[in-house]
Amino acid sequence: MLKIEHLTKVYENGTVALRDISFEVPDGQFVVIIGLSGSGKSTLLRCINRLIDPTEGRITWNGIDITAANDEELRLIRRRIGMIFQQFNLVKRSKVITNVLAGRLGYTNPMWSVVNRFSPHDRQMALAKLERVGIREKAFNRADELSGGQQQRVGIARALMQDPELMLADEPVASLDPATSHSVMKYLELLNKEDGITILCSLHFLSLARTYADRIIALKDGLLEFDGDPVDIDEQRFKDIYGEEAVRVEIA
Amino acid sequence: MNNNQIPTSRGALRKLLIVLAVVAGVMLYAYGWRVTDISLDETQDETRQTSVTRALRELLSPNVFDQDRDSEFVDVNFAIGCPEDGAPIPQPEPGEGEPYIEISPDCGERDEVVTITGHHFHANADAFVRWIPPGGQSRPMVRTDVDSEGYFQTAITVPSLRGGGDEYHTIEVEGSWPEGLPHFSETTETVIEKMVETIFLALMATTLAVPIAFVLSFFAARNLMRQVRLPVGDVLIAFILLPVGWLLGDLLLRPIGELGVRWGKELVMGIIGPAIAMVAYGGIARAASTARLPEGTPGHRARKIALNVLLVAVIIFTLGALGGIGIWVGEKLEDGLLADLGNFINTLGTLVDLSIAVAAALAGALLVSSIGTSLTRGGLRYFQGPSDRILGAVLGLASGTLLMALMAVIANQAAWFGLLPLLVAVILAMQVLGLIYNHLTGAGHRDEANTHATLRLVLQVVVAVAVFYFAYLFLDSGRLIVDGRLPAALKTEVGPFSVKTYTFRAMLMGAVLGAIGGWLMGIHRPFPLGMTIYNTTRTILNALRSIEPLIMGIVFVIWVGIGPFAGVLALMLHSIAALGKLYSEQVENIDPGPIEAVQATGATRLQTIAYGVVPQIVPPYIAFTMYRWDINVRMSTIIGFVGGGGIGFLLQQQINLLRYREAGVAVLAIAIVVSVLDYASASIRERMI
Repeated sequence: MLKIEHLTKVYENGTVALRDISFEVPDGQFVVIIGLSGSGKSTLLRCINRLIDPTEGRITWNGIDITAANDEELRLIRRRIGMIFQQFNLVKRSKVITNVLAGRLGYTNPMWSVVNRFSPHDRQMALAKLERVGIREKAFNRADELSGGQQQRVGIARALMQDPELMLADEPVASLDPATSHSVMKYLELLNKEDGITILCSLHFLSLARTYADRIIALKDGLLEFDGDPVDIDEQRFKDIYGEEAVRVEIA
Repeated sequence: MNNNQIPTSRGALRKLLIVLAVVAGVMLYAYGWRVTDISLDETQDETRQTSVTRALRELLSPNVFDQDRDSEFVDVNFAIGCPEDGAPIPQPEPGEGEPYIEISPDCGERDEVVTITGHHFHANADAFVRWIPPGGQSRPMVRTDVDSEGYFQTAITVPSLRGGGDEYHTIEVEGSWPEGLPHFSETTETVIEKMVETIFLALMATTLAVPIAFVLSFFAARNLMRQVRLPVGDVLIAFILLPVGWLLGDLLLRPIGELGVRWGKELVMGIIGPAIAMVAYGGIARAASTARLPEGTPGHRARKIALNVLLVAVIIFTLGALGGIGIWVGEKLEDGLLADLGNFINTLGTLVDLSIAVAAALAGALLVSSIGTSLTRGGLRYFQGPSDRILGAVLGLASGTLLMALMAVIANQAAWFGLLPLLVAVILAMQVLGLIYNHLTGAGHRDEANTHATLRLVLQVVVAVAVFYFAYLFLDSGRLIVDGRLPAALKTEVGPFSVKTYTFRAMLMGAVLGAIGGWLMGIHRPFPLGMTIYNTTRTILNALRSIEPLIMGIVFVIWVGIGPFAGVLALMLHSIAALGKLYSEQVENIDPGPIEAVQATGATRLQTIAYGVVPQIVPPYIAFTMYRWDINVRMSTIIGFVGGGGIGFLLQQQINLLRYREAGVAVLAIAIVVSVLDYASASIRERMI
């Protein structure tokens, strides 16, 4: 259970990214966060694993206060929260398997991992995760030799190395073409259904959100605009979220 | 809207300003012209023109090649003061086909012109005419060219020499011509030898600088350090524990390291000892890990700490043993084929031996400090309300005292370092005033009014000046800064201790400022530790970089004597500063995405750097290292001018001796090496990026 209470984030330059956001996510839910660019989606996701420190408010996860955790406690929390990114955030010059193994860092002895020593168990695990996302054969290629969709799958494999209970996905398909987008979303759906991983995913397209979400949360200018069932978003709600001039774009 | 039209009055003002700017610019350059002594008279001076032509001509005719020469000698007699009886001067009889010379006249007074004609000389030889007074030193008169027939004619004037009575003077002509194939001159051989020294000097300096600059570059990278914020309490406790750990390390770890060195010197023990220690550590670690302790529990934490302490002890011991083994191996290899290698290993071993005490103390400091913070971290959470402030004040007092004591120790080394306690006190006071202001007015939030920021800044500046003046008097800084003397040796009794008054007063200031600051801040606010380290590192690097390697060279020559080692040290120090900055800028330019991703997996800072940062910076680091080596070769060609070894030393000697042809060889060698390396490093860099 992820519980967010009165979350507010004000950046150093005075921009208010989130205003008093509160909601709860029960375990195993697939939540999609929608909203225009700059509506606070990325900030919200990053506050949950404290890549960004919130200004006010509290985030608790399975009873642990994430916002109050010190560095050491935060590491223990973070390693159970996977994250994938719009730009994949792979180390482009490194091999695919090295990128995937990086997901295991929270569990390895810091000294050994610095000299690139992962246990055979971890290496097997990395190959198995790559197998799962269907790119086992690319394990020893350089990450930048892969296509966008493949890179995002490496990102998923890296997050899976953490044995996550919660997965944050920050616009995971925004840099991909429609067909690839669906394949990446399908992997997320699989993780949600098979492994019971709670997923918080921000998306641009409402159509994608409708296909995959159990629940949709909409942000507008840092405020919670909508929180509910995907089917409840009608024409008026849509215009509330995206503005009067918005036109629906369907993504096949 | 018609904003394109600038009002005429403003246009006129602009023009006037431009004219004024141009006039000011011309005045500036006129002043520059005068202070740099630009003068056309000197360039037109005839003697100077002759000398520069000669010097340039010789520099451009480098004495690269040499050829063996053969020569033949012919003498004639000359009388100063013709015999009164008009008797002929006896001349040696030339052999058949052998060279001979005729002179006319064969007697005369000083300054008289004598024509010398040579016959049957070696074709195209150089003829050197010399004057040899009776029983005296030969002096060169003139050089001339022999034609293809073996004939030459030249003239000399009789020099003013004291006559040797009745004896005849000798005019000697040496015909000299090249024999055999041209070969490298002796100068060239020396230059090549020195050039090799130069290139290696640059290589050593670069290589030694790279690891240090590599580590420093992360501390000087804003994007990495900005995130490092810890609660004030943690930072202060870590800081206070540093000296405690230093003492403990010196007391406990140092004997272990020294034992390692002693055992290492006997080889067998040096190998067995660390091996046993490592196996034992592995065993203990494995045995300990069988106990299932969930992360975050006290038991788990205690195990981790104990294992870390043990690991550090094993590392220090092994390091010492490696040093000792190095010394042993070095001594065995000292004379033999591998003497160079032996010397190298021996020096490394000795370096370990010399630095093991510092390494042990440093390890102790870091270890105790990190253990201390991780132990107290959980506990600090329970200090809330007034106890938060009281603890803050106590920790602030201790930290401030410690910080200023450290500054005072540095200030005791050289007079002008005495500025350091003043500056630190001023910085502390400004921070404290900012806190007081925020405390009284309730300002300090993100959305505070601009008037608060302005007023606070004004007050801070006023307080800065006041504190500087007070500290200047209190610490008797006139003595340091005006008279350039070290702090007075006066002592103050503090209980059973006797402390230097200067140090005591500095500590007192630190205690007061620290206590107030700690009280106001409490222990829970985030402290920008990263930016503090960043600013300190940057300041030191910038200061180092502003000192030219030539000046550093002078200091190192005093320390280690004239020779390439001084040059290596000077260039190394400068390279650390230069590379540290270049590297850190590369770190600041990397893609932040991977760092974010690695952090999100729960990696530690060190792991984040190893997996998110290092893979991205390898190509630019290699490129900049090449570039630095390139620069260091250039620098090392002139570091010899101050005694730093390499080709510069040779070049300077030859220039001072006006041997421009020899200097030309060195200049040529520098030009070749620099351009080749320039090309090589450029093409490698191109391939890397």
